[in-house]
Amino acid sequence: MRLPVALLPLMLATPVQGETPLRVTTDSSAYCGELAARVSNQPGARQEVVRNLAEEGQRLCDTGHVRTGIAKLRRALRAAQGMGG
Amino acid sequence: MPRAEHIHAPPLIGLLRSASGRFALFFTAFFAAAATAAAVILWWNTAGALERQVDAAIRADAAALTDRRRMPTVEALAVAIEDRLALDVQNEALYLLLAPDGAKLAGNLEAWPSEANAEQPWIRMPLLRDGLVSEARILRLDMSGGYRLLVGRDVAEKLRLRGLLSEGIAWAASASAAIALFGAWGLRRALERRLSPVYGTAKEIAAGNLSRRVPLSDRDDEFDRLGRIMNAMLDRIAQLMEGVRGVSDAIAHDLRTPIARARAKLEEALDGARDEAALRAAVEQGIADLDGIARVFQAVLRIAEVEAGARRAAFAPIDLAPALADAAELYGAAAEARDQKLVSDLPTSLPLVGDRDLLMQAVANLLDNALKFTPDGGTVRLSAELSPVLVEIAVADDGPGLPQEDRARAGERFFRADAARSTPGSGLGLSLVRAVAALHGGTVTLGDTNPEAERPGLTVTLRLPVG
Repeated sequence: MRLPVALLPLMLATPVQGETPLRVTTDSSAYCGELAARVSNQPGARQEVVRNLAEEGQRLCDTGHVRTGIAKLRRALRAAQGMGG
Repeated sequence: MPRAEHIHAPPLIGLLRSASGRFALFFTAFFAAAATAAAVILWWNTAGALERQVDAAIRADAAALTDRRRMPTVEALAVAIEDRLALDVQNEALYLLLAPDGAKLAGNLEAWPSEANAEQPWIRMPLLRDGLVSEARILRLDMSGGYRLLVGRDVAEKLRLRGLLSEGIAWAASASAAIALFGAWGLRRALERRLSPVYGTAKEIAAGNLSRRVPLSDRDDEFDRLGRIMNAMLDRIAQLMEGVRGVSDAIAHDLRTPIARARAKLEEALDGARDEAALRAAVEQGIADLDGIARVFQAVLRIAEVEAGARRAAFAPIDLAPALADAAELYGAAAEARDQKLVSDLPTSLPLVGDRDLLMQAVANLLDNALKFTPDGGTVRLSAELSPVLVEIAVADDGPGLPQEDRARAGERFFRADAARSTPGSGLGLSLVRAVAALHGGTVTLGDTNPEAERPGLTVTLRLPVG
């Protein structure tokens, strides 16, 4: 299925600058801990939904699935803010 | 074994040389242009829209953060950035806030890229996440107090979508190209198939089979119309060739008799002339016979000249009425000598555009014929009428007339009806009349003068357009 399709996007897209890629610091276990602390500081942190999401996120982070864990923790934070507000 | 001398052109040049190939290529190019236009519009409305959406989100985010910078301390801006990052479920947001001394105050980018120092505030950079390289779209903001901020988005998902779209367009383009080429091939084949009967016919005619005609289908399309026109042209050519052959045969046949007669008379005189006077009379008779033959040739050449249309340049506005009156007077005298009557009924004026000499020669031929076939004591009538578009000249006699079956052939060169064989003449008079009428865009019709009578007579009507 690999057609020489790279030509089209290459022709139409703006050229990518630089050779050294940027690095993101929020895809780390440390950021997992930072987010978990934020969640626990929220007024709605005790709610079951929030707690479940936060625990699941923490577990994923601990088992090496950092980005998925961070996504769960962010959802927990949103849920906590929504309930606390 | 002799080698073929025919040199084959490369396929593409061969295709360009053939009209059907060029039509097919034009069709392919047109189809390709239409497909490209469709792809560009699709790209603009999908991938292009996604890019514009990302840029708009970054711009809105940057505007909101710039508002935060208006607060007394920069900490409010740093907190807003950290809050945004904490709530970014899509994991796409990218920020970096630097103090004037270069210290990182907030954000999730590791370092300030050198590319962000360029004049252009918008940059596109590779982004490394989990060991995979994706792409970041970033806007640089220079804030008051020397603070610098980068606001951006990870566009990996958009790139994936764009890749899928590109692949889809590439497949669609390949399919379109294949269909266009197939269509072009089909178009070329269809054109060649429809033209092949014309080629075949032309080839056979070139090889000498003049009876061949283009076969027609019942579709009545452009090719059938072309075939019909070609067939009509071939019929006309065949008719002309038949005419030429007929004239050659007629010349050979009709001139053989007077030549043989002249020769016989001269031979007889040579053998049997009793004195010089008899020999002289025979030679004079021979010269007169040869003059008659020369006149026939002259008449044939004149008809050929008229039919070729060379005299059309001498056309001028003329009034035929006085000329007809003169002819009536001249032939009236000849008629009286045979106790015949020539009655004329002419208008005062007959204006038309044409060649006076030729028209008068035609009328003279008609009067000559009429007087020749009218019995002694008979009447010949010359009449003319003028209508808004036509001049009609009629010469009517009360001779034996012409049978219906001979009338169609009466204009052919050297044609003489059986009843006229005994009357002197060459059979060229009416041929010239027809040729003159055709040259002027007119017609000649033959009819009975008195349809009920035993001797119906003949009326020849010459109709000529006025303009």
